[in-house]
Amino acid sequence: MRFLIDLIIAVAVAVAVGVGSAWYAVSKGHLFGGVTVGAWTAWPQDGSLDADPYALARLARTGEIPLGAGEGLAFTATADSQGAPLDGRCIYAVAGETPAARLWTLTAVDAAGQLMANIAQRQGITSRDVVRSVDGDFTVSVAATVQPGNWLSIAAVPRFDLVLRLYDTPLATGAQLATLTMPAVSKVSCP
Amino acid sequence: MRRTLLFIVGGLLVGGILHVVIVFLVPYYAGRDAYAAIGELGPDGQFHLLPMANAGNEAAMPGLDPRLMEAVCRFDLSSGPIHVHAAMPDDFWSVAVFDTLSRNVYSLTDRAAEGTGLDLALLTSVQMAQARQNPPPWLETSIALELPIDAGIIVLRALVPDDSLLPAVTTALTGAVCSGPLAVSG
Repeated sequence: MRFLIDLIIAVAVAVAVGVGSAWYAVSKGHLFGGVTVGAWTAWPQDGSLDADPYALARLARTGEIPLGAGEGLAFTATADSQGAPLDGRCIYAVAGETPAARLWTLTAVDAAGQLMANIAQRQGITSRDVVRSVDGDFTVSVAATVQPGNWLSIAAVPRFDLVLRLYDTPLATGAQLATLTMPAVSKVSCP
Repeated sequence: MRRTLLFIVGGLLVGGILHVVIVFLVPYYAGRDAYAAIGELGPDGQFHLLPMANAGNEAAMPGLDPRLMEAVCRFDLSSGPIHVHAAMPDDFWSVAVFDTLSRNVYSLTDRAAEGTGLDLALLTSVQMAQARQNPPPWLETSIALELPIDAGIIVLRALVPDDSLLPAVTTALTGAVCSGPLAVSG
């Protein structure tokens, strides 16, 4: 009887620890190989043949198709350059320059990774749309309310992420990535 | 009490093994991966145009760039090489080949393809060897890709610079073909 209780405890521990940690790791997925530049993080190995088992499991669960290495690279910002999580009720400025790329797109997704309905009814801004200053830098205002100049319209959600996709870019390896200049994400104002 | 502690430690060890096993098995049993999702869009061996990603319609394929239009095709090389061709728009486009676990095995952009036409032949190593022995005419005109996989996904992406070009990009991607099998000898 004692043995049976011990066995039940052991099995319960095994299932709770094994399934719980596996579920957590797989839903997080991005455990290894992240390259962080300022507020931005990319996972260049994500959809490659060298992808780690967690990244593969995550892709299988979400059904996402990542960008191929020859297509481009996607960077995600979950916090501003000061490290505070992005809040859709605030106004942010994404300013500076991007690494060399033939095309880039800047979009915003909610905490679940889904695109958001917004008042501009427009998802994202591209390097073609953006108006630059004389020195080639740009500033994009990210806000749920109408902004002058370059404006990325979002919803007033408590948490959102920015996604900057660089297409046709010579970036390939992590070594090059660490020395990149990426645009700064700064909080302009909060209600 | 000490015996119970021993059982708990044993449980932790088994839990660790369970963790590894689950993580490795998820890609094979997930059932919600991109390969399965594309299979639900229609038959294999042809491109399926995905609706432009927007708020509330990302069910077909999450995480796509809302400023690009995508077409996807599931292919199988077991009965012969596959021919992928399309008259692509003048602006940015890219093509990527993934295996059934969504790992990228090949990708290129319009600039690497030189010109606006997309013309690929997908082959296995065996088919490539056969084709080289007695080169069929398409080996001259298409970019031949020797793939380490038998089945997978082809993803075509094209920039929609603004809404006025939406019909042109739609036409280009709707006309994309990924048909087979090609003859392996000339």
